[in-house]
Amino acid sequence: MNNFGSTQSPSQDVGILDDETSPAPGSGRLTQQLRRLLLSNEFGLLALIIIFSIIFAIVTPGFTSSFSLFAMGRTAAVNIIIGFSMMVVIVSGGLNLSVGSIGVCVAMGGGWLMQVAGFPWYLGVVGALALGAMIGALNGVLIVKTGLHSFIITLATMSIFFGVMIFLTQAGSFRELPPEYVTFGRMKINGVVSPLLIVTLVVGVILAVFFKLTTAGRRLLAAGANPDAAELSGIRVDRTIILCHAMSGVLAGIAGLMLVSRTGAAIPSMAGQLGQDWLLPAFLGPVLGGTLLTGGRASVLGTLLGAFLVTLLTTGLLLLQVGAFWVQTCLGLLLLAAVLIDLLRRSYLARHNLI
Amino acid sequence: MFRKILFGTCISLVAFTGTVSADSDTKVALVPGGPHPYFTAWEQAGKDAAKDFGLASADYKVPQKWELGAQNQLLESLVTQGYNAFLVFPGDPVGTVGIVDELVGTGAVAMALAGCLRDPSEAVFCMGTDTGNSAYLGTQELLESLGGGEGKKIVHFTGFLVDANTKLRIDAVEQAASEAGAEVIQVIADIDAPEPAEEKINAYLAAHADEVDGIITTAWVPAVVAANALRKIGDKRIKMVGIDHDEVLLQAVKDGFVHGTMLQNPYGQGYIGSFAADKLRQGCTIKADAPFKSNALTDKFIDSGTVFAGVDEVDDYVTSMQSITKTLFESFESTYLDC
Repeated sequence: MNNFGSTQSPSQDVGILDDETSPAPGSGRLTQQLRRLLLSNEFGLLALIIIFSIIFAIVTPGFTSSFSLFAMGRTAAVNIIIGFSMMVVIVSGGLNLSVGSIGVCVAMGGGWLMQVAGFPWYLGVVGALALGAMIGALNGVLIVKTGLHSFIITLATMSIFFGVMIFLTQAGSFRELPPEYVTFGRMKINGVVSPLLIVTLVVGVILAVFFKLTTAGRRLLAAGANPDAAELSGIRVDRTIILCHAMSGVLAGIAGLMLVSRTGAAIPSMAGQLGQDWLLPAFLGPVLGGTLLTGGRASVLGTLLGAFLVTLLTTGLLLLQVGAFWVQTCLGLLLLAAVLIDLLRRSYLARHNLI
Repeated sequence: MFRKILFGTCISLVAFTGTVSADSDTKVALVPGGPHPYFTAWEQAGKDAAKDFGLASADYKVPQKWELGAQNQLLESLVTQGYNAFLVFPGDPVGTVGIVDELVGTGAVAMALAGCLRDPSEAVFCMGTDTGNSAYLGTQELLESLGGGEGKKIVHFTGFLVDANTKLRIDAVEQAASEAGAEVIQVIADIDAPEPAEEKINAYLAAHADEVDGIITTAWVPAVVAANALRKIGDKRIKMVGIDHDEVLLQAVKDGFVHGTMLQNPYGQGYIGSFAADKLRQGCTIKADAPFKSNALTDKFIDSGTVFAGVDEVDDYVTSMQSITKTLFESFESTYLDC
């Protein structure tokens, strides 16, 4: 949004989660914080979410029903995690086209551990996430060793991972899963909140802490902003690339396991052919949320809000009974409107000397 | 034209049975896995059923793309919109079980249409083509057109491997061929979409047409693309049996480039499915001794019918399908429901 036309360079954002602006002479600390808040992508996205929520609540009967809110929250929970799995790689200046493929591999691995190997659900989850970390790290190792762009490597591994998974499972599914695991995905807290959404929020907090407060997180941001400078300052850029891909694998795995819990089965087609169904949500959340495609800047809250906005718009359009083939068009138009509204907001603030 | 004929079919069905009920609050959603020409007959079937049986509505709702997630999200939004009966083509025979169970949990009636869910599920039954049988019969028709199967070489163009029906079709074609002494020299799957079908079928025929005696296709798009390819080649030596009722395919049958097609009954599925959904919502139950068939996925299967249409039948293929639908509809309530 920033992203929607920001001219900030990546290096300006190294190691921070929020936009930094130079303090105006004479302005107070409170005013500066207010300006920063008003200027942030997160504020813009939140405003859009509130605006569209009000519109949909008025014009679509049932939008605020408990079932609708529950379903929307559950869908958003998965989309946000998928966005996170791409965000942690974009931060490094790379891409991971294999997020869907890894997510399905982890889901199938978890299904196998729980159903065939007889692991209790929590060990199955841990084992599956370890698999995700390994697969993701493999991506990172290949990128580092070959020197090729992550786009090429992950485009290739997307097919490889999916193909191996199909070969090993013979396109079969696992549905004899522990009841408590399956129940978790269908549970309703107070009739409205899906526990999957809580998992997502916990993951978001962990990621925010990682990027904001840990050395590894700051090194990752620095390496993404300017790899050469980072290398010169003693950061092992190759390790950070492997780390971020391993994290991406774990996050994709969490999304996969959430879907398994939600559908009650681990199925090879859960992310479409080669896992390609996940690519759009993987990019939309981070890009709308303010993560720079050139690396060096991550916004966990922005990704969360961006993914939620897309889910909200999709749900609202479906409830408006927009013709099925117009949903994608309308979604694109609404996203464009969101961009323009954000630009107007910035322009208004500038005209009134609020920035 | 097709819709008009189907509408006429419907009118005649109602006239035959006299089953126009009082107005009902049943709102039926007919939801395919994604956009595909096979399902378009459901739209008219729903409209006709709503009119004939006095339903509140019976609407054809298409997910904007073939994604399990997109279908799930659509189904959830339909619950919010007040739909209380769901006729669903499963985006995945296992993955759709969860959402169907949730739909039933809201008090709705749900059934699998055109493709089945893997048991156990809360779907009252599955109504669709017995895909294995259709492929088996189609292959037999093909081999007969070749003067017997002994030593003949055929190729099989089919749908997506993640669709459980595809494996059934592959096995059925293989079985019919081996029983007749023919050989399936190539199976090309995952091509039930225009781009991969054009690419793979044309490439295969360009390189191997001389080695092929016959073609069996068991998915809509490959049937259309293969029919066009044979027309381009212009050699009627290669015999082909297709599937479904696309105009391109039907014309190719008339012109002699394709031997015939295995018709399915999507209209009957949507029409009778909507009828059954309303009956179940009005308090009818499934008979304990209902004569369901079994397939690889479920023990609650109802065959919606299939029939071969060659050059002599292709002009009158709608009559063939009318006959199947009428037969199934006439006895449906007494056979499957306790009302």
